[in-house]
Amino acid sequence: MHGTAIKGGLRQSASEFALSPTSHHNPVLAKVLGGFATLTAGLDYAARGVTGFNFYSSRGQLEHVLPYRELRLKALATARKLLSTGLKRGERVAVVAETSPDFMAVFFGCQYAGLVPCPMPYSMYIGGKNAYVSRIAGMLKTARASAVILPGDLVSHITEAARLADTAIVKTFEELAAMPESIEKLKPFDVDDVAYIQYSSGSTSSPKGVLITQKAIVANTRGILRDGLKITNEDRAFSWLPLYHDMGLVGFCLSPMMGQVTVDYLSTTSFARRPAMWLKLMSENRNTIAYSPSFGFDLAARRINGEAVTLDLTSWRVAGIGGDMVRADILNDFAEKLSVAGFDAKAFTPSYGMAESTLAITFADLSKPVKIDTVDRLHYKLAQRAVPASEQLKQSPERVRSFVVCGKPIAGHEIVIRDDRGADLGEREIGRILFKGPSLMDGYFENAEATQAIMTADGYMDTGDMGYWLDGEIVITGRAKDLILHNGRNIWPQDIEWAAEQIEPLRNGDAAAFAVEGEDGEDDVVVLVHCRLADAVEMEDLRRKVAAVVHQTAGIECAVILVAPKSLPFTSSGKLSRAGAKDGYLTGDIAEISPLARLPRSLDETRLAAAQ
Amino acid sequence: MNQDIFATLCQLLEPFNSAKIALKPETDISADLNIDSVSVMDFVMEVEDHFDIEIPLNVLSETRSLADLVKVVEGRLAKV
Repeated sequence: MHGTAIKGGLRQSASEFALSPTSHHNPVLAKVLGGFATLTAGLDYAARGVTGFNFYSSRGQLEHVLPYRELRLKALATARKLLSTGLKRGERVAVVAETSPDFMAVFFGCQYAGLVPCPMPYSMYIGGKNAYVSRIAGMLKTARASAVILPGDLVSHITEAARLADTAIVKTFEELAAMPESIEKLKPFDVDDVAYIQYSSGSTSSPKGVLITQKAIVANTRGILRDGLKITNEDRAFSWLPLYHDMGLVGFCLSPMMGQVTVDYLSTTSFARRPAMWLKLMSENRNTIAYSPSFGFDLAARRINGEAVTLDLTSWRVAGIGGDMVRADILNDFAEKLSVAGFDAKAFTPSYGMAESTLAITFADLSKPVKIDTVDRLHYKLAQRAVPASEQLKQSPERVRSFVVCGKPIAGHEIVIRDDRGADLGEREIGRILFKGPSLMDGYFENAEATQAIMTADGYMDTGDMGYWLDGEIVITGRAKDLILHNGRNIWPQDIEWAAEQIEPLRNGDAAAFAVEGEDGEDDVVVLVHCRLADAVEMEDLRRKVAAVVHQTAGIECAVILVAPKSLPFTSSGKLSRAGAKDGYLTGDIAEISPLARLPRSLDETRLAAAQ
Repeated sequence: MNQDIFATLCQLLEPFNSAKIALKPETDISADLNIDSVSVMDFVMEVEDHFDIEIPLNVLSETRSLADLVKVVEGRLAKV
């Protein structure tokens, strides 16, 4: 009895100790910026120091502290637990990537066990359960995942997805933790092995898993740490980016680990709810590095209000921008609002990359302010040349376009820009951006056709983006593919169309989705839908249902336009021509037929402006 | 359905309901109001702050109408 009382007392006093986050630097262990042979070699080294990961709640409380030393121990135990479920070397383990120590333990546990982790999204929209389930099922199927590990609150969602995909092992983090530890000798992934499969690329209707090797992740993290961010002992990172996305996983989990950098995390959901918490925590912890797509800077700047003056952001030396087109107006606004907190606009660092290149391809020079190139819109449109706009021309904003300069490739990596016939282009000539280097993915997992479609005979990967050279740096002007960019997310028009076509009486080929540039430079999404109904009320009901399903699938607002049956253009090979549909819409050839239509004003105006 | 909670939700939703659509219990939050995911999050945060509750994503993904949301709020309040 006595003993129990003492034990209880101890537990009580232990919980009264406030957690404290890991230090930003190792007092004894020498800083080594990547270059380890594998992820586990990197973690074995980082575990000799005191740095690591800290997890904050949406209200800014420190909830978990996970030094690399503890992460390694947890990962080793998790590796043995995974193996005791009967998983064999090389099998795929899907794991829902919530921002938590549990996810990290499974991801790194797989590395020690020789299993291939596939981080799965943890993002849903209101009313969007079905869309989430089919998205996960598609990923499990293409990864041929043998197991899926998930947080307890997603049991009903994931069990359904696993059943659709025939994934045999479904375990919550708690259930996995309760498994016995296999006693077989652990054989971690070696230098010539694979590392993980990333699913931030490809559409939901036909997902493609990017297979990343140990060599690729080692090369890319090394480039990020040494060439891109030039990490020092003073650095401390902050991230609210999702860990199922390459910028979150590679940029703010794997790279920091390979450089023994401490990271403070706020979950993506928490950030979405309280964007200002990002800046408050950065101020508290004196973080030096954080990345966000443009919209994140916008959200945070709008929410910080009078509190900006209470913050200290003087330590923030790299405010990286990636994931979508960089918006100069948003950056200016952010810098203006946060200058009272000591934020230096020179910290803004445009960069460029994608999951197929592990993450990073180029970084702008850290020491210089963001460089904007303003070009003549007419030459840009007609001659595919980026001709600098004269001072006079700049007075008329409708005649110029401004692009952000995204920097040079990381060491050992190469970019070429080519025209449609494959000829290399020079300074200020706009063409397709191709990439080659050790960070290149191994390919799309078990999808040789999709891999071949983007590889050239001479070993370059076509990024699908358009751009031009400027003094040895690249400028991204847009994309060759139909991808829609929304708040840093890639949205595939196929997904929107597929979702719309599930609505009665629509069928395959009845919808076309594309983006038109809104007044603020953002993509506005338009969905054209064949309408065979005659009753005006039924027509409005169809419009409402299509808008709803698009919202539940992609989480975006869109303009649904009901158009005459058979008015959408198809190519000779029977494929929907989205470019043709967009042209038809902008010129008014394909137009709304419902008498009750109320077009959103901004879109209507955009259409008029673009048609002129 | 709890009318008090419903009335409060309507009040909290008003600033996001730019098209001034009449709010009924069966109103589908994402479909009928056509507000984007960031604004939905803002609205949910207002609801959480007002009632001092947390509504997890998995619950949100199964919430469609205002009546559904009333039930969620009731359930969460009972747990506090």
